[in-house]
Amino acid sequence: MVNRAKIKELMNESACSHSKDKKPGEGCDMPKPGMAAGGCAFDGAQISLFPYADAVHLVHGPQTCLGASWETRETLSSYEGRDHTSMGFTTGITVNDVIFGGDKRLADSIDYIMQNYKPEAIFVYSTCVTAMVGDDIDMTCKLGSQKHGVPVVPVHAPGFVGGKNLGSRIAGEAVLEHLIGTKEPELLTPYDINLIGDYNVTGDMWQYLPLFEKIGIRVLSSMSGDGRVGDIRGAHRAKLNVIVCAKSLITLCRKMQEEYDIAWISVSFYGQRDTSFAIREIVKALGDADLMAKAEAVIAEEEAKLQEKLLPYQKLFAGKKAVLNTGGNKAWSIASGLQDLGIEVVATSIKKSTADDVEKAREYLGESGVLMKSPASEQSKVIDERGAHILLAGGRSLYTAIKKKISFIDVNQEKKVSYGGYDGLLNLAEDLKYAFANPVFANVSKKAPWEVA
Amino acid sequence: MESQKIELSKREHKPLQVNPIKHSQPMGAALAFMGIRNCMPLMHASQGCASYTKVFYTRHFNEPIAMYNTSVSDITAILDGGDYSILMAIENITKKNKTLKPEIIGLHTTGLTETKGDDVRSVGTHIEIPYCYVNTPDYEGGMESGWALTAKALIVQHTKAATEIKPNKLLLLPHVSMQPIEVEKIKEFCEGCGFETLALPDLSTSLDGYLSEGQGKLGTGAIGVDDIAELANSATVVTIGTSMIMAANALLQKNDKINHIHFNHLMGLENNDNFVAQLMKIGQNEPKSSVKRWRGRLQDAMLDAHFLIGSSHFVITGEPDMCVGMCELLQSVGGTIDALIATNYSPVLETIKAQNVFVGDLEDAVTHFEKADLVISNFHAERLLHSQEKHTALTLRGFPNYEELGNQLKNDQLYEGSAQFLFEVANALRHVKHGR
Repeated sequence: MVNRAKIKELMNESACSHSKDKKPGEGCDMPKPGMAAGGCAFDGAQISLFPYADAVHLVHGPQTCLGASWETRETLSSYEGRDHTSMGFTTGITVNDVIFGGDKRLADSIDYIMQNYKPEAIFVYSTCVTAMVGDDIDMTCKLGSQKHGVPVVPVHAPGFVGGKNLGSRIAGEAVLEHLIGTKEPELLTPYDINLIGDYNVTGDMWQYLPLFEKIGIRVLSSMSGDGRVGDIRGAHRAKLNVIVCAKSLITLCRKMQEEYDIAWISVSFYGQRDTSFAIREIVKALGDADLMAKAEAVIAEEEAKLQEKLLPYQKLFAGKKAVLNTGGNKAWSIASGLQDLGIEVVATSIKKSTADDVEKAREYLGESGVLMKSPASEQSKVIDERGAHILLAGGRSLYTAIKKKISFIDVNQEKKVSYGGYDGLLNLAEDLKYAFANPVFANVSKKAPWEVA
Repeated sequence: MESQKIELSKREHKPLQVNPIKHSQPMGAALAFMGIRNCMPLMHASQGCASYTKVFYTRHFNEPIAMYNTSVSDITAILDGGDYSILMAIENITKKNKTLKPEIIGLHTTGLTETKGDDVRSVGTHIEIPYCYVNTPDYEGGMESGWALTAKALIVQHTKAATEIKPNKLLLLPHVSMQPIEVEKIKEFCEGCGFETLALPDLSTSLDGYLSEGQGKLGTGAIGVDDIAELANSATVVTIGTSMIMAANALLQKNDKINHIHFNHLMGLENNDNFVAQLMKIGQNEPKSSVKRWRGRLQDAMLDAHFLIGSSHFVITGEPDMCVGMCELLQSVGGTIDALIATNYSPVLETIKAQNVFVGDLEDAVTHFEKADLVISNFHAERLLHSQEKHTALTLRGFPNYEELGNQLKNDQLYEGSAQFLFEVANALRHVKHGR
């Protein structure tokens, strides 16, 4: 069942940089009526676990929870068996289950899934309604697990306990409690790491995993991009946890450090500088001189190769200026990528950034860079004053681009190609090349015949 | 899996849904409120319900979506009867955006707020903005009923009773699967026959792929709360889709002089002939010459398409009111419907003559894909068809369609839309049948 003490702990994570700005006990913000636009805890939990393609993800709730959300995320998997990430499973409870309880339906659903799909594990997500009517999901899962001999993991992140971020943390708790440490890995090396928080959206991980292989870093398990349930069960034997671009799973890493003595670092793989930095951090943490030397060689080789490929783009983008309006770590990570391509980033948004993010944004943009606190009202002015050529923002800012007759890229839209790693920069460069050349925003802004005086 | 005979029933045939096609009642209600002018759709739910719905419609329509929620938390789920969250939400939204001037607040519930048992009827007495509530738990019904319940609630709560009628005033009640352009086409058609025409809900100016500033804040439908107040003086109410009959019945309660005419759908020659005949009887007007011309074109399209469609097998999935029209149009040119898999039970499904008609999901539907020449389904069917060896064609219809642009401007209704639909299906069939 939902554990209030656990939720309180997760919302006051000591290792999280957000907590520095808060009074003791204040924790993460609770959603305000009318103001919350983002996803719920269930959404976050599902995002964190869904990429396990060898597991079935069963949503125990009414129709909205899964009906509108399956097959919407481009989390790619190389799993050779039946890929369950492109499928949706829900108990789709009806009014009878609300009155009499949905445990029977849940148990029957688990049986049905085992008979017809034989996954390596089943994740069972509780939702607002099934949490509130008090279904004994823990017991049903336990019995299902005993009956079928595979882990049936309850995930207690009903939407109303909080936002996406909290849901991810709860997913981490479920994995820690039910999976990690339940199986010994077949093979171990001194260079084993766990990747935490990369969901392999559009194949992001595959941009940098080949580099790991060249260097000799071995990914023991992933939570959860292109992950396998069997691997995460042996994750407690890794030497290092690497969090990729995500704050939400810090609690998991902190607890794994306490329980299994696994150190953790937080990195990002956006742009050339971040990728090189990330690799150096990983090999440094693994503390092997040979590995570090090998990493340097690979970085030098890859950067040289990339530089050559970037040259034509850098020529093309010389003198171009960009305004960036996006949230969180994207405010500096995309800025870094743009700068690698030779584009001057004249402004970025710090509306939802932590102190760390602001500091980083200042470092990347330099003294002359504008850090916008309320980008919606500031960005038009900045575009005029600095003569920006392109706006990278969410769809809501489309009109600014049309009015200013400049190029536009929707950075919040689900992207179809990866911008991660060294080669991802080339994908970003291609998108920018076409964006700069596209006259559509200027063309669309033309007045209608009946509007011309 | 082998296909098994599944009977049409209100009861489910298995404990779960695998690859569901069903969408929830709150989602239908939210869409209906977007079809009302300056309406603030407010979902009484946890933030996720609204977030999922918003993302779903944003991707389907490629448009900014007006949607708000009361963000019920685990604490307010227990301690609040609903009034606090709803009033706080309205205050927070209007305080944050002072230029926002909603003419009506469209509040609808969800499984969460129905389970906790909120009474949302009286909240409206505490606010100055007109207020409409509708109970749409997502453990009952589906998108189609959520939409219909909302239309009914608007009439019950906001239409003034009347004793007189305006002879040429007509109200159209379209079912949920009707695209914005389809509502517009049918309205234009009725106007062409001399009727002052309103539609409820009216998406023809909302989510119709139209560029304007400040979108996605309030509903931009073509009918306002002032229009809804005066609906009871309509001489005629036309329901399209069985789900909408309850909304028409609510209107008849306001004025028993209103004449109700019903069509299960407006696809194909027969139903459109009946539709035109009925309008001619009421309005004493012949349809415009272009309408007559389109009838001839449809006749020709039926003859042109019957070779391909008449030798083909189809599987159709979706909301009942949408499926029934496609099914009957294809059958009218000799198509064989192997299976119709509906999202929810509806009495209209009993009228369909096909080998397999039942309520189910894509796991059930896929067992019929192998034998079919063409599948009509939402975008989820695409991946499933890719993984089968036989090349079965796919025509995308229904929610969600994340693959195609401009689907809100695709018309399948009336003589004109029926002809275009037949061409699209026949062309898709030619593609897979060629060289076989």
